[in-house]
Amino acid sequence: MRLNKRQFLVGSAALAMAGRIGGARAASAISYWHHFTSQSEMASLLKIIGLFQAANADVAVTQENIPNSEYMAKVSSAVLAGGRPDTAMVIAERFADLTAMEGLIDLTERVNGWEGKANFPDNRWTGLSSNGVIYAVPAFAFVDWMYYRADYFEEAGLAGPPRNFDEFLQASRKLTNPSKGRYAFGMRAGAGGFKYVIDVMEAFGSPIVKDGQPAIERAAAIEAITFYSDLFLKEKVVPPSAPHDSYRQIMEAFRTGQTAMVWHHTGSLNEISSAMKQGEQFSTAPMPAGPKAHVARVAYAGNGVMKEDNIEAAWRWVSFWGQTDAALALLEGTGYFPASAAALQDQRITGNPIYNAATETLKFGRLPNNFVGAAGWSENVVNPAFQSVLTGQSTPEQAVDRMIQGLEAALR
Amino acid sequence: MATLSIRDVRKSYGSVQVLHGVDIELEDGGFLVLLGPSGCGKSTLLNMIAGLDDTSGGDILIGGRSVLDLAPKDRNIAMVFQSYALYPTMSVARNIGFGLEMRGVGADQRTRAVEDAARMLQISHLLDRRPANLSGGQRQRVAMGRAIVRDPELFLFDEPLSNLDAKLRVEMRTEIKRLHERLGTSIVYVTHDQIEAMTLGTKVAVMKSGYIQQLGDPRTIYERPANMFVASFIGSPAMNFLAGRLVPDSEGVLFQASGVSIVLPTRNRQVGSERPVMLGIRPEELRTVAENRASIIGEIDVVEPTGPETMVTVQVGENAIIARLPPRFAGRRKEPIFLAVDPASVNLFDPDSEQRIDI
Amino acid sequence: MRALGELSETRYWMYLLLLPSLALILLVIAYPTLYGMAISFREMRLTRPGLDGWVGFKHYLAMWSDPVFWIALKNTVVWVAAAVVLELSLGLLAATALNRDLPGTKIFAVLILLPYFLPNVVAGHMWALLLDPRLGVINDLLVRLGVLQAYKAWFADPNTALAATILVEAWHGFPFFALLLLAGLKGIPEDLYRAAAVDGAGLAAQLRLITLPMLKTVIAAAVILRVIGLVNSPDLLLILTGGGPGDATQVLSLYAFQTAYKEFNFGYASALSVVMFVTLMIFAAGYIRISRITKGQGDD
Repeated sequence: MRLNKRQFLVGSAALAMAGRIGGARAASAISYWHHFTSQSEMASLLKIIGLFQAANADVAVTQENIPNSEYMAKVSSAVLAGGRPDTAMVIAERFADLTAMEGLIDLTERVNGWEGKANFPDNRWTGLSSNGVIYAVPAFAFVDWMYYRADYFEEAGLAGPPRNFDEFLQASRKLTNPSKGRYAFGMRAGAGGFKYVIDVMEAFGSPIVKDGQPAIERAAAIEAITFYSDLFLKEKVVPPSAPHDSYRQIMEAFRTGQTAMVWHHTGSLNEISSAMKQGEQFSTAPMPAGPKAHVARVAYAGNGVMKEDNIEAAWRWVSFWGQTDAALALLEGTGYFPASAAALQDQRITGNPIYNAATETLKFGRLPNNFVGAAGWSENVVNPAFQSVLTGQSTPEQAVDRMIQGLEAALR
Repeated sequence: MATLSIRDVRKSYGSVQVLHGVDIELEDGGFLVLLGPSGCGKSTLLNMIAGLDDTSGGDILIGGRSVLDLAPKDRNIAMVFQSYALYPTMSVARNIGFGLEMRGVGADQRTRAVEDAARMLQISHLLDRRPANLSGGQRQRVAMGRAIVRDPELFLFDEPLSNLDAKLRVEMRTEIKRLHERLGTSIVYVTHDQIEAMTLGTKVAVMKSGYIQQLGDPRTIYERPANMFVASFIGSPAMNFLAGRLVPDSEGVLFQASGVSIVLPTRNRQVGSERPVMLGIRPEELRTVAENRASIIGEIDVVEPTGPETMVTVQVGENAIIARLPPRFAGRRKEPIFLAVDPASVNLFDPDSEQRIDI
Repeated sequence: MRALGELSETRYWMYLLLLPSLALILLVIAYPTLYGMAISFREMRLTRPGLDGWVGFKHYLAMWSDPVFWIALKNTVVWVAAAVVLELSLGLLAATALNRDLPGTKIFAVLILLPYFLPNVVAGHMWALLLDPRLGVINDLLVRLGVLQAYKAWFADPNTALAATILVEAWHGFPFFALLLLAGLKGIPEDLYRAAAVDGAGLAAQLRLITLPMLKTVIAAAVILRVIGLVNSPDLLLILTGGGPGDATQVLSLYAFQTAYKEFNFGYASALSVVMFVTLMIFAAGYIRISRITKGQGDD
């Protein structure tokens, strides 16, 4: 398959070009790549496009859905061989790679001259800027939090959700009952599980990257990996399927009552609410604090411009996402948190207690790690290294060493 | 003692009956030919003798013992296939000795038997080769070697010559006849070629549509066919048929048709009661005569000299007949021709039942 | 024009006629292959545009000391070999059954091909669900039959993950063999089996002395095609395990894919692909030699 890769890239680029020429009938037609997939996400997107076109009749937006797992492959192919879209969705974890491959266009001047800028506090821009240059307009945020089974907690005689790792462990022991097929914590160690491994490492006091240099502190990281893997290996408060459990599996386990707690972000609220009763069966809480730091991510996702051709129309489209109307359309459809501070004041957020944990988290939450190579290192090194601890193929020490070596190679 | 007895053997596939109660006895050392067009059931019958196909009724005995419950390998038979069926990965020697090998015959004894068979078939120089490197005739010999090395009670041949070219076919036919005379083992031989049947068989079973039409020695079958099917299937060119009537005559009965009038000697005068019949005449029984002695008068249509003889197609009334005449026949198209026939050599058939009528 | 007419009478004419196809082959096959090989000697990381340049055998040396490469190589061998052996056996079994021409075999022949009609992606997701530790029907069946005490997370245990993916692949790929072997079986004269029955050779001897030798060419071709297909396609593993847990199911194609599209390190990924390419070439050449399919059947 490698043999004709370039051929394929060139070919697909040509097709994309042809498509663009064919579609260039409106005064200004722009394309938009995104990785929304679920029905509610797509419905919200179409609603936003509708709102946008009501206000901008001269711009036609063609959206193209790309599965999340193929998103970067497709975008990098487009950068390598041509055929970029006008605009594209950018999530915080991918921002560094996208700018490093020169996939995004500098929007600093336009942002500075934009009246909507005031609605976004500085930290909204940090994750979407590099060396003082702004590359994307924030649109929504994924705020990390924890879902827990309120009824299970009550049954186990627990007063409330755990506030730190100690309480988390104590609660986990009480909530686990393998004979009932019940486990305390739905650990995600399959695809995407690296995120929480990194979070726990930081919660134990080990940074990942500082000033562009590898900065893992070996001892703290080992302590973190030991604590986290022991939940599975020693405490056995985690389902035995954890090494392969990914998003679908942890959600399945929580919804079917196999697990009592699960870590995720605000984006899954709709899915869980549709299966269980808010407040009675499940509730939300901020992530528990680690011994050295209270880590919960607030990941701002935005939209960037990938080529200059229709920059004016493209800018109008990406900045439209920053407006309260668009943000609330998305919130209503999907539960995705607005990035705009103005939208956060809306009664639909302040008046719903389930969002309290998120509002709380916004005060201390930190941005995801943002360095070139973060995605590759996380998926190709952190994930297998941690899995191999869970499966007994390596020790926490070996896993941390592998992570350190991998990180050095990624940053070199 | 009979080597092979086939008793009321039947075969049907679902509701389709392909063999209807076949009875054949083959004497020790005999050569039975199952002859018929494709689909007549001859190969099915052979497969049932071999045990490669089940019977739906009746019994088959080999050497006096019913074999219906025996596997092919236990029936003491050896078979030669139309496609030769040589094992492609084995040398000629191992192919020939394979049946013995499977029966646990020791290597020394096997080698001796294989060499003997190879000598008999003149393929000793081929023993180390693979079947792929042999000509068609050589493969045929190997296939026969594989059969004779086993020294069975009965050989089964399934159209063994049909994949060979004409010249080789004649040669191998002679070879098979020589082999039979030398070994004296009984043979059942399936073919659709009437010449093979005539030259090889001591007993021929002519089959059609699952029935035996006639069972007998080749001479009888040729000269006194039991019905019009047998009469026309055997012999080339085929027997001529003329539709006519029998009328009484002073010397016996008279066969009459347009342009034909033949006196048939008989004491049975009752047959000559104006009944319609079919007259069958072998082409070689016709000869040219003077006009006043002719019993068949016709017009020459086609003259085909073949060298040793001349085939003449003659229009007689509404019928066309073929006469096999001497090579120097000088007639031309459209000329009249006068023919006579030995009354003892003709056959009469009932036009409705197509069965033979003896007068 | 006259010169052209004269040229067409010479034997050089045929070379001239071959030129267009030659050009096409060079463009579509030779150029991308060589380009891919060239990348493996360069630093090419999309996220580091500044690092572009020739680095000689750097990637190959790095591979030598990359433990994941060796694990992936070992897994590739195990995965491909086990899957092909299983698929070949199942395929032979299915083809033999279908070759009997019993009533109903036509419908069965279509049914048996169904797995192969499914795209890898669909088959992968379907089996992921069938083997799911919480919802999986297979787990349910095994527990009901008393084989398992409780539901098992097949892909979470390094001892079962590779085996489970091999079984899924075998299920998905055996119709390929069944189809080709069935075509091969149809070409074996029935008389050979009848001769064997008369000679007293049992089923095992018939398989060894007739069926397998007669299918040799088909088997060799099918095995080579399947091995190439399996070595090169990471999609099933990508869906089922992503190479995990740990690196228990990491294979070369998946490793190359992840290196290229997660790390954007095309240089190293190309070097991995070149190693796969060369390994496959050696395998194919060796295999053809061993199975002697290039010569006539009688010459060996």
